[in-house]
Amino acid sequence: MAVDRRMIGVFGVAFVLRLLLICLFPSLPDLLTGRVEVSTPVNSFKRLQEGLYLYTRNVSPYDGGVFHQAPLLLPLFSLLPDIHSNPVPTAIFYFIVDLVNAYALVTISESGQSIQSRLHSAVRKHIQWDGVSVAAWFLFNPFTIATCLARSTSVFTTSGILFAVSNAVGGNSVNAMLALGFASYLSLYPALLFIPLVLVCYDRHLQYSNKSSKAVGYVLQHAAILAASVVGLLALSYLITGNFWEFISATYGFHLLVPDLTPNVGLWWYFFIEMFDSFREFFIGVFWLHLASYVGGLTARLRRQPLFVIASLLGVFAIFKPYPSISDASLYFAMLPLYRHLFPLMRYTFFAVSAILYSSLLGPAFYHLWIYAGSGNANFFYAITLVWSLGLSILLADSIFSALHDEWEQDHPDEQGVEVKQV
Amino acid sequence: MTAKSGDPVSPTADASTPSTPSKSTQRVPAPESPQAIQTRFRVIAAFWAVIIFLGFPIWWQTTSIYRAHLPIQEMVDWADGKTCRPVYPLEIQVVAPSLQLPESQHLLRTTQHTLDDLNEFAAHHLRLKLTNDTNGSPARAGNDGTDTSDSNSEDAPDVALTVHVRPEEGLLAPRSELQPHTTQLDVFYPPSQIPSPSTSNPPLSIFIAQELQRLYGEEKATIAHILSGETTGLDSASPELTESISRRLRRSMKYAETYHLSFSLFTPGSAPSSWDIEGAVQEYLAPLLDAFSPISNFTIDTQVQLYATFSPMTPAPVYDEVEAAWTLKKEDLSAFINAAEWPLNPSIGSGPTLNFILYVPDPSQSPMIVKENRASSWIVPQWGGVFLLNPPLAQGQTSNPVYLEQDSLQSAFKTFSHQLLTLLGTPSTPSSLPLRLQTLIRVRAASLLLSASSTMGSLARLTESLPSIPIPANVASSVSTTLSHLSATCSHLREGRFNAALASARVAENEAERSFFEKTMVGQVYFPDEHKVAVYLPLLGPIGVPLVVGLMKEVKRLVAAWKARKRV
Repeated sequence: MAVDRRMIGVFGVAFVLRLLLICLFPSLPDLLTGRVEVSTPVNSFKRLQEGLYLYTRNVSPYDGGVFHQAPLLLPLFSLLPDIHSNPVPTAIFYFIVDLVNAYALVTISESGQSIQSRLHSAVRKHIQWDGVSVAAWFLFNPFTIATCLARSTSVFTTSGILFAVSNAVGGNSVNAMLALGFASYLSLYPALLFIPLVLVCYDRHLQYSNKSSKAVGYVLQHAAILAASVVGLLALSYLITGNFWEFISATYGFHLLVPDLTPNVGLWWYFFIEMFDSFREFFIGVFWLHLASYVGGLTARLRRQPLFVIASLLGVFAIFKPYPSISDASLYFAMLPLYRHLFPLMRYTFFAVSAILYSSLLGPAFYHLWIYAGSGNANFFYAITLVWSLGLSILLADSIFSALHDEWEQDHPDEQGVEVKQV
Repeated sequence: MTAKSGDPVSPTADASTPSTPSKSTQRVPAPESPQAIQTRFRVIAAFWAVIIFLGFPIWWQTTSIYRAHLPIQEMVDWADGKTCRPVYPLEIQVVAPSLQLPESQHLLRTTQHTLDDLNEFAAHHLRLKLTNDTNGSPARAGNDGTDTSDSNSEDAPDVALTVHVRPEEGLLAPRSELQPHTTQLDVFYPPSQIPSPSTSNPPLSIFIAQELQRLYGEEKATIAHILSGETTGLDSASPELTESISRRLRRSMKYAETYHLSFSLFTPGSAPSSWDIEGAVQEYLAPLLDAFSPISNFTIDTQVQLYATFSPMTPAPVYDEVEAAWTLKKEDLSAFINAAEWPLNPSIGSGPTLNFILYVPDPSQSPMIVKENRASSWIVPQWGGVFLLNPPLAQGQTSNPVYLEQDSLQSAFKTFSHQLLTLLGTPSTPSSLPLRLQTLIRVRAASLLLSASSTMGSLARLTESLPSIPIPANVASSVSTTLSHLSATCSHLREGRFNAALASARVAENEAERSFFEKTMVGQVYFPDEHKVAVYLPLLGPIGVPLVVGLMKEVKRLVAAWKARKRV
C-alpha cells in the first residue's frame, strides 16, 4: 500500500492536534488521567506510575495493591524519561501508538474484507469509505484523543487487537495470533476474540491459497500459537516479577474477581456494590459468562462475516466488560466505519447517537455532582452510565440487525429494497 | 461447529434454494431455508452450551453451602449436663506430728465422718488425708497459695488446705488460726483432749470438721448457686449468704481471658502532673496479678488527665464543718465520673476494661470524702473503682505536689487491689488470700464449663434450625477442640486437679466462643430461601426467558421433524 499524501496529511494533522492540545493545556493530560470515564483500575496511568516507582526501586510492583497491569509494561515505561520533569516524550510515545493503530485500521479497511469475504459479499458495495477516512474517524474521535492524552494503557490492548485483525485480513495468521496473544496478555478479555479471528484467518486462507486444510486442524494449530505466545509473555513476566502467583492474582485475578468497585462507565461496579456478599461470586460468574456467551452465538449466526463478529464483540466488551472505559468504546467506533455500507440499513442511528452524546456530556456533570458537589448520589452517575450503555447497545443491536438484513438481501436478491418490519 | 458450516455456498446458489416467490405471494415471507434453521439451531446450542457446561458448574460451585459435620448429639448432651456432672473433691492434708499414728488415724476417720454428716451438697466434698511429712507441706504451700500442685506429680490432686494439729498448753477448748498468706490452718488443742481410739465422737474432730465447714461454706454456696442456674442455692445457706453471693456475682465482671486494667489520674488543676505509677504497679499490684495468672491475663495502661472537671450535672462537693472536709453525698457518687469528657476508653482490644480512677481534688476542696461514711473510695459495679486521694498539703502551700511518690500511692493501690479482687468475683471469705484465689479457680472452672457447654448447645440448635447456614471446617475443628477440653475439664475436676481443670475450661470457652461467632457463618443467617428468588430473578429472568423460549421452540421443531420422518 502506497503511503499517499492524504494519509500523511491526516496522520500529521492528528499528531499536531494532540501536540497542540498538550502544549496549550498542559494540565489536560493529568485532568484526563484522573477521570473515571477514562482511567479504570486496570488501565490507569497513575497506577502505572505507582507500579513503576516500586519497580524501579526493586520492590514488587504489586505490593500495596494499587497496580494491576501486566508487568511487561514496566520495563517499557522505565525506558521513557521521568514523567514529571519531562512529560513530552511519553506523550509523543502515546501519539505514535495512536498513529500506528490508525495505520492498522487503514490496512484492515484497504483489504476489503469487511465488504467482500469468502462467504459474503455486501449488497451496497459502492457505499464505503476508504482507509484514510476510517483512520480519520479513529484519530479525530474525541474518545480516542481523550484516551491518548490520558495515557491509558488500554491503547496497547487496542494495538494488539487491531494488529491481530489487520494481520488476519492480510493473510498473516501467525502474526495475528501473536498480536492477539499480546492483547490477551495485557487485558485477558481479547482472548474471547480467538474464534472469530481464527475464522477470519481460515476464510482468508481458503480464499487466496489453493491448499485446503482441515478446519479443526487449522483451529488447533492457531490455538497452539496463541497459547505459546501467551505462555512466552507470561514467562517473560515471571522473569521480571519473580513471583508468579502474586502477579497472576494481581492482574488476571483482579480482572476476573473485580475486587475494586471504583465507579466507571460500565455496569458492574454498582451491581456489585449492592450485591449480597454470599452471591457475589456467583454473579461474577454470571457476568463473565454473559460476556463470553456472545462469542458462540454471534459467531454461529454471523458465520459468513467473522470480521463483523469481531467488531460486534468489541462493542459487547465496551458495554459489558468489568472495567470498561471510553477507550473500549473508541475501539468499537473505530471498527464501525468499516461497515459504512450498513449505515443506510440502520434505523435508530439518531437515537443511539443522541443517547451517547447526551451521556458523554452529562456523565462528567453527574459525577461532579455526586463526588465533588455532594448534591447528588451514586444513582446519578449510575443512571448516566445506564444511558451510555443503552446508547451503545442500541448502536450495536442496530448494526447487527443491519448486517443480518444485508445477508438476507444477499440471499433474496429479488426482494432488495423491501421495507422491513420487525415482528 | 465451525468446521461444518465451512462448506462454500456461493450467494447465487444459496438464493435459489427457497421457493421463488411469485407476484401473488409477495406478501408472504419466503419460507426459511434449511441453512437458516440450522444456523438458528447452532446459535441456540451455543448459548445453551455455555449455560450448561460453564453456568451450572459455576452456580453449583459458588452457591453450594459447605456444612462440616458436627457432633450434634454430643453437643446437646453437654448443654443438658448429661455428659458431665461437675464434682469438687477437695483434698485436705492433716498433719499431726504430736499424735501417735493410730490416734491420728482415728482423728482423721472421725473427722471425715463428721464432715460427711455435715455436708449436704454432694458435688462439693472435702477429703482428709494424713501426711507425716511435717516439714514439706507448709513450705510447699508457700506464699503462692494458688498453685500448690507445682511440686506434685501430674496426676495427684491439688492440695487445697493443710491442717496442722498442734497441742497447746493452757487451753480449755480447741482453737484454730488461719494463716493469712498460706493455705495452712493451725488447730491448737489442749493436750488433755487427745482423742482416744475408743471415743466415737471426740470434740476435737467435731471442732475441726466445723472449722472446715465454715471455711468452705461460702464457696459451697457459690458453686451450688452457679451449678443450679442461679435460682436456688443450698437449702441450708442463710438468706444473707445467698444474697451476698448473688450481689457479688452481680458486681463482678463477666469472665474474660484478658482484662485490661486502666489506671487514670484525674485532677481539676495542673498538679499533680506525674505519678510513680510504674513503681506502684510493680510494688503493690504485680504480686496480686501474678497470683491471678492461672485465671486471667492482664494488661495495664495508665493516663494522667489534668484540668478534669466534673460534669455540670454533678452536685458540687459541700464543705462540712463537723468533718472539716468537703463531702460528696452517697447518692451523687454515680454521677462523679464525667463520662462525657473524661477520656476513659470503653475498651482496648478484645477484652473488657477495668477502670481505676485516682482523683486528686483541688487544694481548695481538699480533703474530699464521702459524707455518709467518711470513705474515700467506692466501686462502680462491672466497671471499676474510684479513689479520692487527698495529698497532705505542705505548710503554707496552696497547691498539690507536682509529683506523687510511690509511698503516697500506697493506700490507693491497696484499695485498688481490693476493688480488683471484688470486681473479679473473689469471694470475701475465708481471710486467707490463697484460699480465696483457689475458691475463685474452682468457681471460674464451674462457670466456664457451664458457659462453654451451653454455647455448644446453642450452636447445635442454631445449625439444626437453620439448614441454610454454612458450617466451615474451622468451626467443626473448634467444636471438637471444645468438646475434648470440656471432657478434660470434667475429669480434672473429678480428680481434684482444679488448676488443670481451669486451664482446660479456658481453652474450651475460647474455642466455643470462636466457633459460635464465626463470621462466615453469621453472614448468611439472614438469608431465607424466599430471598433467593429476589436475588436470581431480576437479572437471570430477563436473560433466561428468551433462552428458554428459544430452546422450547427448537425442541418442538426437532420433535415435529422426528415425527414427520417416522411417519414417512
